Amino acid sequence: MTSQYATELCSLLIEDNFGELFARIFSTLQRYDRLTLPRLRFYSRLSDRQLHHGLAAMVQHHLIYHYTSLEDGNTYYETNLQSAYYLVRSGKILEMIEDRLGKYAATVMSTIMFLGHAQIAHLETLPELKPQRSHANGVGEEMKEEAEGQANGVDGEHELDELVENAAIHSTLKALAAHGYVIQVRDAQFQSPNDNVLDAQRVLKARPDVKEMKGKKQEQFLLENTERIVKERTDGDLSRGLMFNGVPQGVKRKHSQKPNEERREYVDIDEDEENEWSDDDFGGNSPMDSNLVVRVNYPKLDVALRNRRLVELVDQESSSATAQVYDCLLRRIEYQTPRCRDIAEIPREGEESEQYSVPIRLSALVDDIDPYLDLSGSIGPMEVPQGPARRGKRPLENGVHGDTDDREGQPSSTTNGTSSSSSGASRTYEVDQHLCLLAQPPYNFTSKRMIGGLINWTVEYRHLARKLRHTELERIIEARYGDVALRVVRVLHAKGKLDEKRLQEISLLPFKDLRQVLASMQAGGFVDLQEVPRDAQRQPSRTIYLWFYDPDRVAAGILEDTYKAMSRCLQRIRFERARLREFLDKTERSDVKGNEERYLSEGELKTLHQWRAKEALLLGEVSRLDDMVAVFRDY
Amino acid sequence: MSTAELAARLYEACLSKFPPDHLFYQQDLLGLGIVPKNDLAQLLQLTQTLVDQKLLRLLQGKNDRLAWKIISREDAEKYVFGIELLQNLNPDESLVYNVIHSTGRSGIWVRAIQNRTGLPKSILDRCLKALEGKNYIKSVHNVKFPTRKMYMLAGLAPSEDVTGGAWFTDGVLDANFINSVSTFIEYTVSRKSWYEAPAVEVQRNKRIKTADGSAAAKFPDRSSDRQYLPFPAGYQGYSTVATITAAVNESGITPVRLGEESIVQLLQVLCFDNKLVSLNNGEMYRSIKNPEAVKAQQARKPGPIDPDADDDERRRLVFNGMTEAPCGQCPVFKLCAPGGAVSPETCEYFDPWLEKALGF
Ligand code: SF4
Repeated sequence: MTSQYATELCSLLIEDNFGELFARIFSTLQRYDRLTLPRLRFYSRLSDRQLHHGLAAMVQHHLIYHYTSLEDGNTYYETNLQSAYYLVRSGKILEMIEDRLGKYAATVMSTIMFLGHAQIAHLETLPELKPQRSHANGVGEEMKEEAEGQANGVDGEHELDELVENAAIHSTLKALAAHGYVIQVRDAQFQSPNDNVLDAQRVLKARPDVKEMKGKKQEQFLLENTERIVKERTDGDLSRGLMFNGVPQGVKRKHSQKPNEERREYVDIDEDEENEWSDDDFGGNSPMDSNLVVRVNYPKLDVALRNRRLVELVDQESSSATAQVYDCLLRRIEYQTPRCRDIAEIPREGEESEQYSVPIRLSALVDDIDPYLDLSGSIGPMEVPQGPARRGKRPLENGVHGDTDDREGQPSSTTNGTSSSSSGASRTYEVDQHLCLLAQPPYNFTSKRMIGGLINWTVEYRHLARKLRHTELERIIEARYGDVALRVVRVLHAKGKLDEKRLQEISLLPFKDLRQVLASMQAGGFVDLQEVPRDAQRQPSRTIYLWFYDPDRVAAGILEDTYKAMSRCLQRIRFERARLREFLDKTERSDVKGNEERYLSEGELKTLHQWRAKEALLLGEVSRLDDMVAVFRDY
Repeated sequence: MSTAELAARLYEACLSKFPPDHLFYQQDLLGLGIVPKNDLAQLLQLTQTLVDQKLLRLLQGKNDRLAWKIISREDAEKYVFGIELLQNLNPDESLVYNVIHSTGRSGIWVRAIQNRTGLPKSILDRCLKALEGKNYIKSVHNVKFPTRKMYMLAGLAPSEDVTGGAWFTDGVLDANFINSVSTFIEYTVSRKSWYEAPAVEVQRNKRIKTADGSAAAKFPDRSSDRQYLPFPAGYQGYSTVATITAAVNESGITPVRLGEESIVQLLQVLCFDNKLVSLNNGEMYRSIKNPEAVKAQQARKPGPIDPDADDDERRRLVFNGMTEAPCGQCPVFKLCAPGGAVSPETCEYFDPWLEKALGF
């Protein structure tokens, strides 16, 4: 993503989040790629003190890679564009964490994000991470007071309190680690991927047995082993030992033991926060190693976000029961999927092979699904009832509600949502039915696998990722050029290069409309024309003109445009803020903040609300644009 | 019944009840029970009519008895025509005629006739004019080569290659016709694609709560009066090309009978439009929307999205950051740069956009 607009956007994000100093360092490094400290000082015109402070903090936030060369002893600095970009996604991530693991977990996560990376021992001491006694205690100041109050209490009591408090943060950290949302910081993560590869190769080449290998063979060996070494060095996975039967500890047990309590997925955040995380959730009370330094694991979070996106799509396309079944399947897959793709770049259209996710056993899935979820009421019968005298039914269809005589409105036991949960076999069958439905075209959200005679379900993510990309492009095309254009693009996409006549025969569009829409899409860069001369003279009359649609090229262009649009929105927020500078400075004053009602006039309050609404709307739009970036770049 | 009609019935009966090379004797023909009261005189009158039309040939059978052989309509026509042609055409004309005849339903380009016959252009033109005047040949419009002048025998229907199929009238795409047929197809297919749940069940569905009650809130039921449910995977009752073709032809919306190929052409377009999904490689078709939604959508006027349509509608159709944000629709997007002539600071698109979205 080393593009002009991505860089512009990342610099903006850094400036908004961390201020001008960071932004200055970042854009200087971005411009010169890789600099030593003296060169950086020269180009950025910053003082040593500023640079030392800035670089140290930026390294902690993983905004900058550094690398000390063994050859010349110099330390080189380089930007980490990827990390910088993720600043824009943090809100979305926290929202998802809150949805899945509760408010407290989101607070812990946001603290880690805020710090860049953090030692667990440090997190333990933070007042904002002490479990809250009541909801009124939202403000840090009050929390501190409370903490002080405790400190003054009897010593023994205090220790006990601390234990309880730390148990909360440890069990939450364990949950985050088990899900893979946080990982351990490793030294190699501070180096750019490129440097890590070079380092690994250097190590390999130094080995005597490798030295003896000949050209081709050595190359091959390096290729095969470099990745492994890099992985070993950068891998910060903490989920090992925290997983139980493919599920992060705590998630499943809670569900099957106390089915009546709220489930993780649907935690009602207004409910009592403290009980949400009970100590027995995680195997033993053993706390996490306080010396560990943890950071946010964005690649894994992208896996979760991608799944969420797919569930949303299913929810639009089919019943909510089907969407929930899919959610459970994807959740299981998520636990075993470290990242969205194994390759850094999105492969070109048609060059991507099928890649199936881990298979999930149907029986395991059935246990995950809310036993009270009505699965039978959202799928029709295998045969439409043809009046009273209906012909032979296959016994297999039990459980799909059409088998009972619906027309008389007498639900049988299998159609009854609650009683069906008591008969495991039919419940399993119903879940399978929903998954079969998902496997249907046009989306093919799932695919079935028989493994050792047992039904398993997997997901072919590459195909779905492509589908998501195409959908985004098609939405833009439809919005800009209308539904005629959409048909033309789909025909070209399915059939490849076509001349105008063939295109008309397939698309059945009048020539006038067709030409018009092709011309405007060509001007917009969505379709292209290829000239195939039939003789050396290249006469226009002897030339065939073929239209084609190249989704890779179009998507790359749209991704750039999306970065640019995000920047413009952020710049506009800045501009709007500048317009209101004096007024906003007043509202930021420590005496006014939190007491707006008291200090501001009615008119000022109105302005403040309007400003907040504006800012929220623009930020919301940035976040919607980020959804597109995710589709074009990350999924 | 007139003689001609009786003769035609007799011919059809002979054709259907006997092998083509059967030798008919009097009693065979009478045995068909077509000649009233087995009147021999009338039978002879009928056979003579058919012989005149070259549909029967009179032969000498065994023992010198009278016998007839049946001749296919096609051959009969050729025969009649052949004699006529010989009488009516000069040698150049019949040369041209034969060339056109040889290309059958595909038709032939004038330039190609010239090449094959070697006739000078002026003579060829005259021949074509004469042949067309006598109604032996006709000029046809080829969708593939709209600018070429092409001919074929007057009695033949041009092949799909030439006409572009049923969707072209005189080589021009008949958009209205296509629209009305595809509208009909989408609705017809949709009625077979969704199970209409009886009202009782809908009620029950609404009552059922999930374990914590919040799931229901997270995925609110898009309820309407009727509930349409998808059929399970492997359902076999979806529309097929055959049933759709039959339905279209019975509906009265098409003046000509449409063949399955034409319907398949349209079905593919509907798939490209994301209205239908083809299952098992086109064996069956399922609609994306349920009948009610199809109806509602068809009631709206088609065409590009109306920029003045209310927001709800626009949002439903197009839905992502680039289509919403002002920059995604901005005509000067390419020029826009901070500090430039067009910039986010001087931008005139944000204010109206914010105003519209926020209402102040
Ligand atoms: S002029 Fe306004 S709407 Fe257009 S790209 Fe610039 S900021 Fe966006």
